Amino acid sequence: MSSQEARINKGINGLVQKLLVAIPGEDPDATHERRNNAVEFARELLESNAREPAIVADVNQASDLIKKRLIQTNPSPEKALRFTNLYSRLLSIPAINQKWAVLYFLYQLGGDQPRTTPVLTSPFKSPVKNPRESRNPEFRAPRSPGYGSQVDGRPFEEAFAPGGLKKLPAREGGQRDRKEEEQTFAKTPASQREDLALKTALLAENYVEINPPETALLRDLPFTLQGLSSTNLPFSSSATLKLPPSLPVPIISILHTLAEPSLLYRGLSEFVKTADGGLLGQSLRAAISGELRSYLGLVATLEGQIRRALSSLDENQPRGGIGKAGVTLKRCVVWTREATMGLRLMSLISEESKSKRGGQLISLIHGFSSSHGDPMVGAFAERLLTHVTRPFYDMLRQWIYDGELSDPYYEFFVSEQDPNVVSNEAQDGRSRGAASSVWEAKYKLDEDMVPSIITQDFAQKVFLIGKSLNFIRYGCGDSQWVEDYSKGASKELRYGDTATLETWIDEAYKTTMARLIHLMSEKFHLFDHLKALKNYILLGQGDFIALLMESLSSNLDRPAGAQYRHTLTAQLEHAIRGSNAQYDSPEVLRRLDARMLQLSHGDIGWDCFTLEYKIDAPVDVVVTEWGNRQYLKVFNFLWRIKRVEFAISTTWRKCMTGARGVLQGEDANVAQTWKLTRGVLAEMIHFIGQLQYYILFEVIESSWDELQTAIHKEGCTLDDLIKAHTKYLNAITHKGLLGAKKKTSSGDDDNTFMVQLGEILRLMLSYRDAVDGLYSWSVSDFTVRQGISVRADRHDDDDLSTNATSRRGESSLPESILASDDSITDEFPVLQERLQSLGGHFKQRVCILLGDLAYQQDVDMRFLGVVMNFNDVYQLSRRKVARPAGRSEQSRTSKDPSRP
Amino acid sequence: MPPAESSKDIQQVRQIIDVFHEISTLLNANLDRHTLSICISLIENGVNPEALATVIKELKRDGEETMRQVEQNEG
Repeated sequence: MSSQEARINKGINGLVQKLLVAIPGEDPDATHERRNNAVEFARELLESNAREPAIVADVNQASDLIKKRLIQTNPSPEKALRFTNLYSRLLSIPAINQKWAVLYFLYQLGGDQPRTTPVLTSPFKSPVKNPRESRNPEFRAPRSPGYGSQVDGRPFEEAFAPGGLKKLPAREGGQRDRKEEEQTFAKTPASQREDLALKTALLAENYVEINPPETALLRDLPFTLQGLSSTNLPFSSSATLKLPPSLPVPIISILHTLAEPSLLYRGLSEFVKTADGGLLGQSLRAAISGELRSYLGLVATLEGQIRRALSSLDENQPRGGIGKAGVTLKRCVVWTREATMGLRLMSLISEESKSKRGGQLISLIHGFSSSHGDPMVGAFAERLLTHVTRPFYDMLRQWIYDGELSDPYYEFFVSEQDPNVVSNEAQDGRSRGAASSVWEAKYKLDEDMVPSIITQDFAQKVFLIGKSLNFIRYGCGDSQWVEDYSKGASKELRYGDTATLETWIDEAYKTTMARLIHLMSEKFHLFDHLKALKNYILLGQGDFIALLMESLSSNLDRPAGAQYRHTLTAQLEHAIRGSNAQYDSPEVLRRLDARMLQLSHGDIGWDCFTLEYKIDAPVDVVVTEWGNRQYLKVFNFLWRIKRVEFAISTTWRKCMTGARGVLQGEDANVAQTWKLTRGVLAEMIHFIGQLQYYILFEVIESSWDELQTAIHKEGCTLDDLIKAHTKYLNAITHKGLLGAKKKTSSGDDDNTFMVQLGEILRLMLSYRDAVDGLYSWSVSDFTVRQGISVRADRHDDDDLSTNATSRRGESSLPESILASDDSITDEFPVLQERLQSLGGHFKQRVCILLGDLAYQQDVDMRFLGVVMNFNDVYQLSRRKVARPAGRSEQSRTSKDPSRP
Repeated sequence: MPPAESSKDIQQVRQIIDVFHEISTLLNANLDRHTLSICISLIENGVNPEALATVIKELKRDGEETMRQVEQNEG
């Protein structure tokens, strides 16, 4: 303590020594006296102030004050800048503790220097005055020109009265006014600043007291900004702030501006508290509440500033000294401006989010971030988006890596279908198998819910990935793989890096699809099944079908009611054992089944018989119910063709064998009829042969080839498979003349190929019956003739026994032969006529069919027409045929240009 | 106190005085280095900076007055 005092004393002495002016020629005693006086004075002054507490022990405050002064007194910021540099250097030196005090000392010393007015009375005589004066130094310190005691001095008169006078008359002439203003602006910045300061001071002087005072308003402001009611600014309802009616208009308008963030904050904090809106809604609320927290941080800072300013206010100053405190209502408006923008945007989002959910919500915010012109809004929305999208990316991750949809609020763009809705849809039209509903209908892609941060293509891909994973797990029972995969591949997804995300998703897509195809071909033998379907249902396996038909033919001639399933399956078994089909895998063969279709009255076995290939889950995703029906349709059609071919071939064989024996007769008429019949039969065989060739080789095989290339393509997905298979079936049914397409718009069902072919096939069968009839007649005729010759022989030679006679001769009694002789001869013209008319009908039908075929879009179908009529045999006959006027007219006109 | 440290201290004090001197010129405080160093040491020893500023001002004013009187007497 004593050493400190000694040091102080030493310092004071040194100081006095330094500052005391030596008076030349003065008495040394007087000098000594003077010095002692000064030292005494200094010590007194210093000691009287020593106990006084430090004002604010803050380095920053002192430096701020100095900086402010420098900026005020100097036009260029150069000096202030230099000071800042020096100041930072100072801070880096740890040598002394009282930096702020030294700075403050310098500030005190420097500031008053140019402006100090000489004090007349010597301070030595009244040392008490000064301490009082310096009690409130910080408000004396930033003394601006014209402020305080000098207000009504010279500068006021000079700068204010002329300024005020100049303005008013200048209004009349705009030009002059402009010039004057330019002059005003041309003044040196220093004088301008002085003017400005003066005006400010004057405005402050002329300030009207408001009630409640601005200080009170400022004190209440932080509460208002937090949405809390205060004495002066109460919230009358949730969306209104009541302003005191006694305030002048400018203050009211400022308060209006300040009321906006307050009300927005109130609304938003209520919105944040609500709990509805699903996961994304909640994450939006969380993001908004985060933003609100930072807003509250701002309010807290503001409050701190206001408190500090208010605590240092000098009540005696005009306007309560608020102009000097640095915090005013206006300044608060400026400080809260940016926050108000943010609040505005958030309240807009919160309003709009009420009607939106899930992806739409993301799209909404993304719209702000990507297409709003204001970069601040964009950045803000981007920030929100990072938080808001978090649950979305969680869902996405679960979906593409686990194949699970965890979306309790239906916010993801993939939605699980309600099973009831699915079954309703199934009832409406196409009924689907269990597995296909997993694939086709279990999940649905909701285009509206796809957020704009990902593209539609991308969404489609994501949808497929999840669907495939789900299908692998539930449809294919391979959840082990899915688990391994999700463990190995799962990655954290987040908003921002779209490119990486896309790569990951592409990767996931490839892996999943490859696995699914692998499962389909290896575990579920999809390709084997397709091949089996082609071999058995589409009659690709010739030996099997031939054997089956042969063994079944006698059975199927009987009425449908007399068919028994066990016979059919036994024959099927026989056909399999007897043909190459036996080498097929048992997996395939056990699915093959023979059964009868729903039988209607009068049907025979041929009409009802069908082969069936049973497809079970999950392969029925590809070979759907619809596909099965198509296969069945094709099979029935082919089976009928095959059957007609078989029947006609049998008859042909009979005729050929008979021609060498029983059919040889002398009657030229009968021989002629047989000849014609054989011609027509040959025609029919040609027709059937071409038809079969066309369907089996041109249609089925070529479509099969296309299917094979499609499904063995690299990167083929299950959807591609399904599509390719559907295309395959469509091609077969369409080209195979089974499509219900009509050639003309006349609406006649006659025109469809299916009906036409059915008719032709029916005609063939009738013709074949007629031929059989003719054959029987010929045989009877032969027998009769044989019998007559036998009788004649017997007549000639009684000894000769019946060695030569056939068994037929034996069975028919001479009496009955004689009796029926007339009736047999009578039958012949009827048969002849019937054969002729059937043959004519057949030709006519074939001509119509060929006419239709020639004008088909499809090259293959036109080709069928050409093949059938390779030697133009039908076109000549076609003209002779009389047809309904409309049709013949049309087909002739359409036909004519083709033939010159 | 080891000499190395004291020399370092002296250097630092010199730096400080440099900086403060510059600031004082910026502020037109009219102090030479010696006065300034005395003031700094006073303040470091707990003297109220405001009071010290007042003392300096008064002393200077007094000095000016004396000078004037001397000039008047001479003139």
